[in-house]
Amino acid sequence: MTRFALKDLIDDRPEDGVFRINRAMFRDEELFNLEMRHIFEGGWVFVGLATQAENPHDYFTTFIGRVPVIVSRDGEGTLRCFVNACPHKGVRLVQKPCGSARMHVCPYHSWTFDSAGANRNIKWQKRGCYGAGFDQENHDLAAVAQFGEYRGFLFASLNADVPSLEDYLGEARALLDLVADKSPEGVELVPGRVRFTYRANWKMQLENCSDQYHFTSTHPSYIRILEQRAKEKSDDVVEASLGASDFWQEGAKGVTGGTFSFDHGHVLNWGAMGVSAASPDFERAEEIAGRLGEPRRNWIFNMRNLTIFPNLQIADNASSQMRVIRPLGPNLTEMQTWCIAPRGESAEARRFRIRQYEDFFNPTGMATPDDTVCYEEAQTGMAEQERGWLQGHARGFTATQDGGNPFSDMLGMTPARNVVADAQLCDESLFQSYYKAWAERMAEVVQ
Amino acid sequence: MSALQAELAHLLSHEARLLDESRFAEWIDLYTPDCLYWMPAWREDGTLTQDPDTELSMIFYRGRRNLEDRVKRLNSGHSVASNAMTRVTHMVTNVILDEDDNATARTRAAFLVNVYDARTSLTHNFFGSYRHAFRRDGEAWKISEKIIHLQNEVIPTMLDIYSI
Repeated sequence: MTRFALKDLIDDRPEDGVFRINRAMFRDEELFNLEMRHIFEGGWVFVGLATQAENPHDYFTTFIGRVPVIVSRDGEGTLRCFVNACPHKGVRLVQKPCGSARMHVCPYHSWTFDSAGANRNIKWQKRGCYGAGFDQENHDLAAVAQFGEYRGFLFASLNADVPSLEDYLGEARALLDLVADKSPEGVELVPGRVRFTYRANWKMQLENCSDQYHFTSTHPSYIRILEQRAKEKSDDVVEASLGASDFWQEGAKGVTGGTFSFDHGHVLNWGAMGVSAASPDFERAEEIAGRLGEPRRNWIFNMRNLTIFPNLQIADNASSQMRVIRPLGPNLTEMQTWCIAPRGESAEARRFRIRQYEDFFNPTGMATPDDTVCYEEAQTGMAEQERGWLQGHARGFTATQDGGNPFSDMLGMTPARNVVADAQLCDESLFQSYYKAWAERMAEVVQ
Repeated sequence: MSALQAELAHLLSHEARLLDESRFAEWIDLYTPDCLYWMPAWREDGTLTQDPDTELSMIFYRGRRNLEDRVKRLNSGHSVASNAMTRVTHMVTNVILDEDDNATARTRAAFLVNVYDARTSLTHNFFGSYRHAFRRDGEAWKISEKIIHLQNEVIPTMLDIYSI
């Protein structure tokens, strides 16, 4: 029945030194609908941070794939996640992105639900002449099949048949720990959410976050400005954290970073950065070393681009960013982005973090637009049908080792695969992890 | 309309014209060296961020030097997002003079910028309000603050200083 054969989409022949992805993966409408159903609505996805609903009755709304959901903290303080739709006529119950409410009243016929999702009132129920079948139905909001928290990061699945969240995150948990452990109080989102769309496939963003190869090619205009700023040390402009490091520079010597790949599609690419005052975390350097030990502290100062498949990315490079990827169509993606920051940092460190963030990460800044424009140009260029196979997933093939290395050992973490890189290696083999997870989740419909 | 209001409205139109015509060096010349250039972000609750030191902005610069960096990037030839020069037309209207003395003045205005992206052949609109502050510089006025409240917050791919 199925239109798609896996071998036509992912050419994975390790014995021949081949790993290739077909352009159809980025363009096909039918494949996109299957991705929505089987990847985004068929397994764990990130929904938000626990701090987004901090107090009893606080809530925020988002989407799991195409399905609107509410994450709500009930009166007892327990976080819950429901489909954001009234069981009566299917109307989206809560329209606001966030708020605090003991009760949610449907705007259409006033069915009312409490912050734990329980139905508290069906208008004029007694005079409604309902049949026995209606009375036997559950009128509460539909809880999602699985919902879990790891260190303040909230994940949900509309499919009950998934591994535990702990198993799903697996060894990549150690990398979320590095984010959460910047402060003994954990992390929070700086107020102000920046959203943008781009007219290309969601997997362009997935890959770009992990793509060290593009940095000096896509961002020379930004790099020149940061080099200039590093020279001048003017008080008028913000110091760039990347300006104080060389892992991305052509001439850098020795091991400059590498990649880790994990089961279920999570990946990290990292670059060696010192414990430097160009990072807003510098004020905590001693405190963190005392609390976590020097190896973990040094890891916190490294450049780290983490993807938790399929929709969460945390970039710790020019500043610290949390991104949530929301695919809207094969050619359209919405990004929700925040500055993620350690709680309790000094006012000066927070200001520094925010300034570094805006210049690099915002769609109104000096770096991200050059990425998103390239995604769109890829989407246009991938219309070529003659040569279906892309050549963009091949670097690092012979550098890939199973298991961990001394750098992952420092975190007590065992990835599935790793690459230790010099400045010009720029591994692309970590993308394989995305597509292996893609194939697993799509196994029912793409064999 | 007072003479000063007319003069400042004219200056806003002049700023808009310079952006429309990509005359960025002249545009930067309108600003004081210590100018504030600020476009706050939207919080999830539908309000604008107010404190740029504790909350995120879309753009926040103190100092004309930062605008010079932006223009440098636009003209560098090394930014794919800036290569196909976008065509823009600013409409600036509803200018209200809020405060003035001999040395300083503040205005509010509404803006609509129509943006034609030559790379994609797509047209976008950005709209909202400006709050300008001015400082007298001899016979002329210089812009000491420009605060941009962008109403349509979801950015289609990118937005640069010439589109607001």
